[in-house]
Amino acid sequence: MRTYLENLPEYAHAIKAFKETVITNVVLLGQEPAPTFKEKAKSQLFLDRLSDFGVDECTIDGYQNPIGIIRGTAKDKPPIFVVAHMDTAVKKDVNHNFVVNGEMITGAGVMDNSVGVGVLASLPFIFKSLDLRFESDIVLAGVVQSIGRGNLRGIRHLLKPWSTPVRGAVCIEGGELGRLNYSSYGMIRGEIECSIPMESGFEPQFKPNAILILNEVINQILQLSLPQRPRSRVIIGKIYGGYKHGLIAHDGTLGFEIQSDSDSMVKTIYNDIQDIVSGTGHESRVDLRLNTISSLHASSIGYAHPLVKSAVAAMRRLDLKPVSEPSESELSIFLAHKIPAVTLGVTRGKDYHLEAATMEIEPMFRGIAQILGVILAIDNGVCDDV
Amino acid sequence: MTYNWLKSNTFHHSEFSDLGRLVEAKQKKKIKISLCLPTLNEERTIAKEIVIMKSELMNRFPLIDEIVVVDSGSTDRTREAAEAYGARFYSAADILPDMEHFRGKGENLWKGLYITQGDIIIYLDADIKNIHHRFAYGLLGPLLLTDHIKYVKAFYDRPIAVGKNKMRSTGGGRVTELVIRPLFALFFPELTQIIQPLSGEYASYRDILEKIPFPIGYGVETSMILDIYTKWGLEVIGQTDLDRRVHRNQSTQALGRMAFVIIKTFINRKAKLGLIDLKKKMFDEMIQYNLVGNEYRPVSFKMEGLERPPMVEVPAYTEKFAREN
Repeated sequence: MRTYLENLPEYAHAIKAFKETVITNVVLLGQEPAPTFKEKAKSQLFLDRLSDFGVDECTIDGYQNPIGIIRGTAKDKPPIFVVAHMDTAVKKDVNHNFVVNGEMITGAGVMDNSVGVGVLASLPFIFKSLDLRFESDIVLAGVVQSIGRGNLRGIRHLLKPWSTPVRGAVCIEGGELGRLNYSSYGMIRGEIECSIPMESGFEPQFKPNAILILNEVINQILQLSLPQRPRSRVIIGKIYGGYKHGLIAHDGTLGFEIQSDSDSMVKTIYNDIQDIVSGTGHESRVDLRLNTISSLHASSIGYAHPLVKSAVAAMRRLDLKPVSEPSESELSIFLAHKIPAVTLGVTRGKDYHLEAATMEIEPMFRGIAQILGVILAIDNGVCDDV
Repeated sequence: MTYNWLKSNTFHHSEFSDLGRLVEAKQKKKIKISLCLPTLNEERTIAKEIVIMKSELMNRFPLIDEIVVVDSGSTDRTREAAEAYGARFYSAADILPDMEHFRGKGENLWKGLYITQGDIIIYLDADIKNIHHRFAYGLLGPLLLTDHIKYVKAFYDRPIAVGKNKMRSTGGGRVTELVIRPLFALFFPELTQIIQPLSGEYASYRDILEKIPFPIGYGVETSMILDIYTKWGLEVIGQTDLDRRVHRNQSTQALGRMAFVIIKTFINRKAKLGLIDLKKKMFDEMIQYNLVGNEYRPVSFKMEGLERPPMVEVPAYTEKFAREN
């Protein structure tokens, strides 16, 4: 009898035969705008699609995560979770109409994460078409409020009240194909706000400038000594402020993220930045505040974990070269709950965060086959005795 | 005038979302269904339209038997995009090659009648940006689930894509409201119940379509409604709300040319029915003016208002479909 690993290339080939259905799901779901906190319409559509494909139980949980459950054959086996985040970084009023041609799909948010959601919605159809049955229940969850200020709230609230053990989990992300995440950074995401109150009447011409003060904060952050081990860094990711070219800026905001393999190092760097903010605010006599937006603990199941080894084997069987880096995603929350999990990328693409983001269609079929490989590995028990 | 037709023959696509029920009705009627897409440089939208229709209404539910693209001579990659997902692509010029070839949407629809096999033909514009399979099943529903409706038109909200990436939530349908509805109200008030007579999406039984003439250009929607109405009455017509359709915005000048053809088609139909007496032949040129520097320059567009005869009068067609004229 052939093993599931041996079957994977044939699965990739077979999935290609119903590419229209997968592309349809990517397009229909991707064309429904879903900026973080406004995922309701997309969640309902996702649920409708699962229902269309005959999923046994479809529901929306108390936190608006749409969930479909495909019942397994064994009653005593814990469920397997397969998740993709529903929200995108694209605003609602941006044109969400996708363009399809023979090789590509182009559209805002397609790589992050409409293709992930489209593939998730297609899994029931794919399972049925390939005659795949599982011992475990398969929980297909589109999770809301994941990115940015969403702070992974959807997945946190999905797992919090879940009363039974979870056998393992797969997180689906659009790209890149070959991505295999099994660890997450310790992370704190924060914003530094500078505001200089306007005075009534005539404004003095030489008063503090919020942008220059934030510039001073950046310079001081760049002077921090960060260790090579544990690996640590501060990313200055966003900055905005001011009103017009000829006016001193009264306000400004700096968005940053501290990432490290070590939670304590994240905390140390955060305290250093807090000192910089307090000191600069005091010396400049302006209102300078540090706000924490979200945080995550560092966690990893390690390369030696059977789930990771199985994922690597599945990818190699499909001629994919696994690339592993820590990630901040639903994975972090699974790992924090001691649930073995990996994140996989579905396809290749470019301009992920532009309105004309593009994904390649052809690589997607191997991307889906690797997901099947990992679900089958978990269903075969690779996470059971660890 | 009563508005009974509006109540009895107006539907919403959600009434037909049980696709299994439609497949059952189709099998009971023992008929075939064709989807025909007229195109001219639609590389950005055509593949998406074909993919969704094929997935949902061919692969998952065997409702549509064939997808046919009839093209007016695209210079972009419309053909490659259509064929990538298995649609049959025809250049309109290659269909019925012994007849003189004209360019226009009506010409493509008419030739689509010759090239398709179905007993029902669904015509959808190929530039629908928010295409969904409801555009097809919403039109099929009344044809399959009733016995008296033979022709179904779409209507919808019409947000317009303005600029590169922005949408305007209202607008569209200007030619409908400023031209065709006033004309209907003046001469055929019953027809004002058709919410969007100019919508480019409709489906009909072949035995209706093959018996009416097709103007080769924009006038085709107007003439279809008038011809079906005068030949078979309003009861055979239905309309379905398809919710929302995002389409390309057109300039006022382009709409002016469209209005020219529609008015001409309307007046010709009235004359043909003996309802008005045209003392003089109408002109064929729409003249518009552009301000160039400080000077107004006329630009004229020749639009002859040519029509194709009912397909049943074309020998090659009657031979192919073994129809008696």
